Amino acid sequence: MKQLVDIIVNGEPLQVGVEPWQSLLDTLREELFLTGTKKGCDEGDCGACTVIMDGKSVTSCLVLTVSAKGKAVTTVEGLADGEKLHPVQQAFVEHGGLQCGYCTPGLIVSAVALLQENPDPTEDEIRYAIGGNLCRCTGYSTVILAIQNAAQAMRLGDPTTLGRANR
Amino acid sequence: MAGATDLLIRWRQGVWQPEYLIDIKNVPGLDRVRYSTRGGLRIGALVPIRTLELHPDIRQRYSAMTAAATSFAGVQIRNLATMGGNLCNASPAGDTLPSLLAFGGEARIVGPAGQRWLPLDEFFLGPGRTVLDAGELVAELRFPPVSEHTGSLYIKHSPRKAMDISTVGVASFVSLQPRNGTFRTVRIGMGAVGPTPMRARQAEALLQGQPIDAALIAEAARTAAGEARPIDDIRGPAWHRREVVEVLVRRTLEHALAAALRGAPDSFETIRDLSVEAVA
Amino acid sequence: MTGENLPTTESALGKSYPRVDAAGKVTGRTLYAGDMHLPGTLACKVLKSTRPHARIKRLETAKAESHPGVKGVVTADDAPRRRYGALGLKDRTLFAGDRVRFIGEPLAAVAAVDEITALEALELIEVEYEEMTAVTDPVEAMKPGAPTIHEDLANYEGSTFSGGGNICVIADGDRGEVDAAMDEADHVFEDTFRTQPINQGYLEPMACVADVDAAGRINVWTSTQGPYAVRAALAEVLEIPIGQIRIIPTEMGGGFGAKLRMCLEAFAVMLARKTRRPVKMTATREEVFTLSGPRLEARIRLRTGVNKDGTMIARDALAVWDMGAFLGPGVQAGISHGVGAYHIPNFRLRSYGVYTNKVPASSYRASGVADMTFAVESHTDIIARKLGIDPWEFRRQNAFNEGDSSVRGDRIPRNGLHQCLDEIRERLDGSRQSSDEATGIALCEWRSGSGASSAQVTVNEDGGVTVLTGSVDISGTDTTLAQIAAEALGVGMEKVVIAQRDTDLAPFTSPSGGSRITYSQGKVVEQATLQLRDKVMELTAERLQIGRETLACAGGRVYVEDNPEQGYSLGQLSQMAVTSRGGPLVGNASLSTMPYAPVFTAQAAVISVDRQTGKVTLKRFLQAQDVGTPINPMAIIGQLEGGVVQGIGRALTEHYKVEDGRPSNASLTTYLMPLAPDVPPLETILVTVPSEDGPFGARAVAEPPGFGPGPAIANAFEEATGVRIKELPLTADLVLAALRGEATDPQLDLSFLPQEQRPRGPVQWQGSG
Repeated sequence: MKQLVDIIVNGEPLQVGVEPWQSLLDTLREELFLTGTKKGCDEGDCGACTVIMDGKSVTSCLVLTVSAKGKAVTTVEGLADGEKLHPVQQAFVEHGGLQCGYCTPGLIVSAVALLQENPDPTEDEIRYAIGGNLCRCTGYSTVILAIQNAAQAMRLGDPTTLGRANR
Repeated sequence: MAGATDLLIRWRQGVWQPEYLIDIKNVPGLDRVRYSTRGGLRIGALVPIRTLELHPDIRQRYSAMTAAATSFAGVQIRNLATMGGNLCNASPAGDTLPSLLAFGGEARIVGPAGQRWLPLDEFFLGPGRTVLDAGELVAELRFPPVSEHTGSLYIKHSPRKAMDISTVGVASFVSLQPRNGTFRTVRIGMGAVGPTPMRARQAEALLQGQPIDAALIAEAARTAAGEARPIDDIRGPAWHRREVVEVLVRRTLEHALAAALRGAPDSFETIRDLSVEAVA
Repeated sequence: MTGENLPTTESALGKSYPRVDAAGKVTGRTLYAGDMHLPGTLACKVLKSTRPHARIKRLETAKAESHPGVKGVVTADDAPRRRYGALGLKDRTLFAGDRVRFIGEPLAAVAAVDEITALEALELIEVEYEEMTAVTDPVEAMKPGAPTIHEDLANYEGSTFSGGGNICVIADGDRGEVDAAMDEADHVFEDTFRTQPINQGYLEPMACVADVDAAGRINVWTSTQGPYAVRAALAEVLEIPIGQIRIIPTEMGGGFGAKLRMCLEAFAVMLARKTRRPVKMTATREEVFTLSGPRLEARIRLRTGVNKDGTMIARDALAVWDMGAFLGPGVQAGISHGVGAYHIPNFRLRSYGVYTNKVPASSYRASGVADMTFAVESHTDIIARKLGIDPWEFRRQNAFNEGDSSVRGDRIPRNGLHQCLDEIRERLDGSRQSSDEATGIALCEWRSGSGASSAQVTVNEDGGVTVLTGSVDISGTDTTLAQIAAEALGVGMEKVVIAQRDTDLAPFTSPSGGSRITYSQGKVVEQATLQLRDKVMELTAERLQIGRETLACAGGRVYVEDNPEQGYSLGQLSQMAVTSRGGPLVGNASLSTMPYAPVFTAQAAVISVDRQTGKVTLKRFLQAQDVGTPINPMAIIGQLEGGVVQGIGRALTEHYKVEDGRPSNASLTTYLMPLAPDVPPLETILVTVPSEDGPFGARAVAEPPGFGPGPAIANAFEEATGVRIKELPLTADLVLAALRGEATDPQLDLSFLPQEQRPRGPVQWQGSG
């Protein structure tokens, strides 16, 4: 039997009717048509469904919608300011941090959550922070480079470009 | 249900079909970590694994728990999964479990008949099976306080540095007698080498009260491997697990001992790098 | 007009432009097939065999059909009795009829109001199996007396080999006198290698939506590398005219070969036709492993005759490829790389594709070549070590030079092979290595894919340029194609738009795969744009009544070179063209194949070995690849690094286990691909020797990076420990066993084969598949 759940998605208070077993991922995609959050495995292994819930990154396939009641959820659709990309999104574009794009929303959300907690992460800290996000295309170097650049841009409020080592 | 990370998958796979599901995530008071030099460490069942990883008191005094937490899945799951969930899921390979055993933890079990404290090494009955009766839940865990002359580490053997279930995981805790440099207390928790997470009691006994000696540590590691009851499965053959558990018992003891002698834990970065497949 | 106002445009070549599709992808607005929502869409689920080999005694769908919410059920009875298949051999049907040959073979498909209802319906379908003996080891399957998986093989359309048993294809190639050269050689070395089944690991599970319009035309939105291949396959199996089908390839969330062919589309189309409603099917992650094909194992035996001075003079290669239940690629591509990047004058290459009761093999990033390169580059290292020759020198001495003859007899064109070796050596020599580390190298060759390509380029009324091709973007090729068009017409990148394509609009193109898009599709975009350039020049000459040779085309204008103010913008020309003799400005080009242009890469792995647990840790990975003229360095580096990391997974952690035909790790919990913390710093060097024929000298890029990590790591392992491992992946338990002298030494002995099943002589190589 469906239950009504109050939830704040990308700043907007919403009420959705969901089955008790429905995951937050399916609610976002099927009920709210927020299809930017991807389903890669539905088992918490790939990270493509990562969203921020009450300030923490979580794999939305492992969250029951009913247990997200009253919580604030940010998806990849909630990051840009109108047409202006979030600095992390901008850095992914500029530094080739994406290819097929399917893991990209999850990676970007993980990176945003990381930079909220730790505005100046080391390379290792970035690697571990995105350790739950599988990417098969990039080999991760460009993703890490993008996150480093985003961190710097956010700290300095200025999109300075870091060079690539060894190239 | 707390973090639901494991449960949800089994539900969707049809392995588990509940009639009712109670979300205890919002029960107040179960989400705190407290430490006092007299009372030791208390961890509410709803404390996320991520808190275990980040908590300064835990890093300072219970580094094996930090190591276990940081080797656990990825950040997103560490934010969701809870201590109580990892415990009650009772996977032989549950990452935090060897460290909970190594620190001599006890669980406060609450049920219709009231509450009781139970040592964690009596908690597990088999893969996915615990002593909990219907209607009972684990409310919190407590661990004895630790002195300056202690050290601990968890090391996990797994193919990758993140998102893996351990092939073998070992946590060792060492407390030294500062006057004469002997082992005062040694506790060793082993994961994924038996039907439940287990203590290596014989290996512990071998060291207890003895002077620090590399050869004795090596013998304890061999003894622990003899106590292990590994099986062949998708993550590796039993013979290899037995080899690795010996190596990890030795390495965790050596690191724990070094920290105890130093009187200070390793930095978080060192703990993190050591926690997954530390290479001697 | 002053100098700074001259109409010039910065060259679009060699610049790391962001991907043209980046904004949609970083904001989550890009629609993948699974994101499509048409009103009234039904969900489709497929019932799959749970037995590796069985007769179907009974398949009863009545209960499923009457289940509330179920709108349609289809089985083999609803599909035309037509076989289809990969590589020309028509050995499979859409649904298993009275016989299943692997666990996962489709038996029925259900369309229902939602996925849960469809899944409930699957449980209501009754299947009665009569078990048959399964054979799951490819060499066992070749032996006389093994259960036959396709009794009717000889009668299948496209059957090229029907010597009996489970051998479904033989590929071979010969040159010179191998036996005589082996007798003459100072040394003969023999090694056998074994590789593991592996999954492509793309992040987006296959998905499609099918809809039949009121006139009966079929529209399919699908995640595919080959929209025309899917269209042709649908037309064939469902007996529908090709023109009645429109494939709209949606953004593809990774494919790596697995999405080259039809997969889910026919199920959705059959149900859409039956229910007259849109039908969507999204594969689960488990179905990524069990429904679309992985790569299966290969066993490869190499014998090489070498002279005292270290010259390789003869190669005898024998390979057996597990095909699973139906023929897949790799048999020919694999064996055609049996001499590697080396000039060996005498060779005999024999390659068998064998049926087993497993999920059928599909393509993955140069199917078969990574397996063969593991064998060849491990074997090369073993020979050098045994001869006491430096492995670098041994490779350099035997490597192809320009003018040598490739395996298939093509002339080896200008290339940067030797430079790649030099670059890596220099980089390694210039850095310190700690005492617990060891280095191994690999030199890899890929003959490069080609295929039918076509493009149409138009100038819009405002001077913008629209490029229409039938190729799906793979690895950022749309951006590269835009750069090629911009460069060829002398306009800025911001003026170029890559049109959204579907099979109704775009000209026919072979699938996006085999690293062929930049090299071949890029070539036709260049040619079509140059044709367009001719047209705008001609039109300007006509209007200005001036000789064409006095005109220049740059900066979005065509103008008189000596008097730049005299001329027209491309926008003006576009408007004029509507009423001109030649009509609107459109450039077209097509080609069927491009000249042979091999790609070479040298790679090195620096590892440490934990001798107590058997864990191998990769500390550094270096690669230097000849990429020709780099059109978009950032995109190229992305391909090289992504490819290497896939190869690292193949080397160390990835192993799709299909024991007795039953997949045991069809999940990302247990199938382990590298994550960010697992990847060491990657050092990527671009060697840029222009190709002779590619657009602006570009080369194919994406396949070879994944070949080297396996052999480079195995070679480093021998350097570190003195122990040789001849199988993948190098898991800790395998390594620890090897360190204790218990390494398995794979063998391949086919002497049991009856004479009529041995290859009778060289066959014609075809394609690159």
